[in-house]
Amino acid sequence: MNPAMRRIAAVSLGAMGFLAVWLTFQQVTAGSTYSDDPRNVRALGDTDDDRRGIITTAEGIVVAEDVEGIRSYPEGTTYFHLVGYAAADFSTALESTRAGDLRSLDDGSITSWLITLFGGSVEPPEVRLTVVDRIQQVAARELEGLTGAIVAVEPATGAVLAYASSPAADPNDLVSGEITLEEHLKDRAALDRVAFRLLPSGSAFKVLVAAAALESGMTPETELEDSAEYLAPGAGQPIVNVSGGRCSGGNEISLSDALAVSCNTVFASIAVELGGAVINEIAERAGFNRVLPFELGAAVSSIPSAGDLSADEGALAQTGLGERDLRVTPLQMAVIAAGIGNGGMMMQPYVVDSVLTRDGSKLSGTSAKQLGRVMDGATAADLTAMMAAVVSGGTGRATARADVTVAGKTGTAEGSGGPHAWFIAFAPAEQPTIAIVVMIEGGGSGGSIAAPIAARVLDAWFQR
Amino acid sequence: MTERAEGGLLIVAALLTGAGTAVVTITNGEGVTIDAYVAGAAFLAAFGGIFFAIRTWAPKATHFLLPPVALIAAIGSIEVFRIDRDLGRLQRYWLLVAAAIAMVVLRLLHGRGVEILRRFRYIFLAAAIGLLLLPLLPSGLPLGGAAVNGSRLWVRLDLGERALSFQPGEAAKVLLVVFFASYLAERRRGLAEMPRSLGPIGLPEPRQLLPLLLAFGASFAVLIYQRDLGASILLFGMFAVLLYAATDRPAYLVAGGMLVAGGAAAARNIFSHVQTRVEAWLRPFDDFTGTGFQVAQGVFALSDAGLLGTGLGAGAPYLIPAAATDYIFVSVVEETGLAGGFAMLAAFGLLLAVGFGIALRAGDAFRSLLALGLTVTLALQTVLILGGVLRLLPLTGITLPFASYGGSSLLANLTIIVILARISHEERS
Repeated sequence: MNPAMRRIAAVSLGAMGFLAVWLTFQQVTAGSTYSDDPRNVRALGDTDDDRRGIITTAEGIVVAEDVEGIRSYPEGTTYFHLVGYAAADFSTALESTRAGDLRSLDDGSITSWLITLFGGSVEPPEVRLTVVDRIQQVAARELEGLTGAIVAVEPATGAVLAYASSPAADPNDLVSGEITLEEHLKDRAALDRVAFRLLPSGSAFKVLVAAAALESGMTPETELEDSAEYLAPGAGQPIVNVSGGRCSGGNEISLSDALAVSCNTVFASIAVELGGAVINEIAERAGFNRVLPFELGAAVSSIPSAGDLSADEGALAQTGLGERDLRVTPLQMAVIAAGIGNGGMMMQPYVVDSVLTRDGSKLSGTSAKQLGRVMDGATAADLTAMMAAVVSGGTGRATARADVTVAGKTGTAEGSGGPHAWFIAFAPAEQPTIAIVVMIEGGGSGGSIAAPIAARVLDAWFQR
Repeated sequence: MTERAEGGLLIVAALLTGAGTAVVTITNGEGVTIDAYVAGAAFLAAFGGIFFAIRTWAPKATHFLLPPVALIAAIGSIEVFRIDRDLGRLQRYWLLVAAAIAMVVLRLLHGRGVEILRRFRYIFLAAAIGLLLLPLLPSGLPLGGAAVNGSRLWVRLDLGERALSFQPGEAAKVLLVVFFASYLAERRRGLAEMPRSLGPIGLPEPRQLLPLLLAFGASFAVLIYQRDLGASILLFGMFAVLLYAATDRPAYLVAGGMLVAGGAAAARNIFSHVQTRVEAWLRPFDDFTGTGFQVAQGVFALSDAGLLGTGLGAGAPYLIPAAATDYIFVSVVEETGLAGGFAMLAAFGLLLAVGFGIALRAGDAFRSLLALGLTVTLALQTVLILGGVLRLLPLTGITLPFASYGGSSLLANLTIIVILARISHEERS
């Protein structure tokens, strides 16, 4: 009887010990995961200090701070769609998603008293962005007077380097009440065009068609028929090129050259040849028809189903050119461009690098997360070389640089108020530090409008 | 430890109760109120009474039994008062009543010792079954059953304008331990023999297995008719552990475990309320405003606690449904932090260690099994409710011994303590 009783006693006392360990574990996980949960009303009332912390750029430049109890945004409209604003009853963007992180650490407890005693800081923390002010300023300035978006990310990590949408509001006016919430919500400035504007991408989508072509066994050198018109089976209107004629001097053109000059007839025929299932598949691999996990939320980019594309080859041909029912956000295109530059691996975009106490110690940090592979490394390498040719001798010449090789692709999408200009790029082509997407609504052609803007943002990035 | 040290520790616990109550009212901006003095005085009266009763009628009992209980009760009663002033004041009456009854029990055992309990074992069994069935009485009668939160485990006694509710299951659990201990003390040899075999598995005579199956059937019946998951696991677990201790045959534990697992799986499929609890345990945030609300609020409370807590009266434990009963531990942790949680766990650990020590040193099989059964009951109950609120197990609505609000629970558990004290006394005599 005694041996059994001893075992029972040991297990029972062990259970008490385990509960102590488990309690610690639960408190740590609950504390780190749920203390900022918006449903946790405890968090709202546990601090006497209602100041909010500061938000800074990657260089440490303050873009949001409390000045004598009033939330202020020294950079005005420049960071509006990223940082948002915090008024008494309403907040947007990071001011909303990071409300918990920006709260004072002083909860009036003995713990915070002890932290202060040992020289620590319980001041409201600092939320440090991944965005680099140097290029954010250029991006915002370039967009002035235009309607559009510029977004740049670091291909290897997904860290967002620039995030600008125009028109933008001045958050200081929203805080002061000069612009009321109702007025603002009716205004065009309320829309974050980086993550929520869905437009056809035009020829920028050809990079994915090209990737599918490479995967089907073609090489950049594969010669394809070059004709002035392409009529898909069953389609009424033929597809023509921008020039109105053929894309090259002869009857044939290589896949690489076709991308460089953005040859519509060739890519329409490739899309039809590969079929609706293949085009749908490469797009879905690139993140279409799926929610992009992003701190500020994002609209879902969409492409018709494989069945719908296969049923109407005229539509399939146009979808291959990034038109018809295809819709994509600038942010999604940036994720794709960065993915190609990153050897085919797309990274999840993020905008907050870390949360720091005011004496500089790290409270939490964001780590890079893989989103999924859009293509294998060999395909990405071939495609990168082809995109470099777009810039060195094709439609993207405006971004060509002496110091680094830029890989890019232009896009000009049909729009009711004039064509939407797109440019997607990453550089340096061999080991990119930046991927950029410029989208100007109703701006004109990608090569003449979007590419020069991208060139000036890249200037700011590479003039270190 | 000497008598003086034990008495001193009880005085410290009473001072803690008074001081803690004062902190709660001070934090609320009321200053020190009469509550602090009354709480300390009532606590001292109750535990002082039990202390002197033990010194009188079980003088050789260990000195280690009462102090951990007093610490748990002190922390628990402060927190109950903090969550709900009225419940906290009522709890003082319950403490005094429970202490008085525990003293009477000790006096009754004084003449013939715990041996006398053996004689009445079938009466106890019948009484326990009767008590377990009481809540099934139709409500509306002067003495009728009542359902709370979908579980039918309460009995309401109508006394004119007032009504007294109690959970007969709490008393039944003590009576059943007495019955099982005396039954197993006699039958343990028969149960330990495994004359038959089924392949490699040895089996006792089928008739010997009958009690095990009967206990399982009874527990499952409690679950079905009263929808009380916690009590049914508690009763069956206590029986399986006693059977294992009595026979030294781990096979009983294995068989018991399999029955519990099978029964739990069946219950999950049959009863919606069990399924709801499992869902709330695994994914409380999926139905935040509905079934997961309680568990989710418990998580929020833990998220706010830190090392030293928010301070007594400064947290918001009242946001958790059933904070003063099921969630008393989490409430204590929210306001006194990991430190307060560890203090309670240490007190429970000490109490259980003392209980097991009494069981190991007891003179005969009955006393040994009785002490073991009572201690295991406390252990199982503690693990079930703490595991439940800390999301280690599905939440079962049972009380945390000595800490949760509730008269029935306090009465049953203080009775367990005086019986343990008596066994401890007899073993040293």
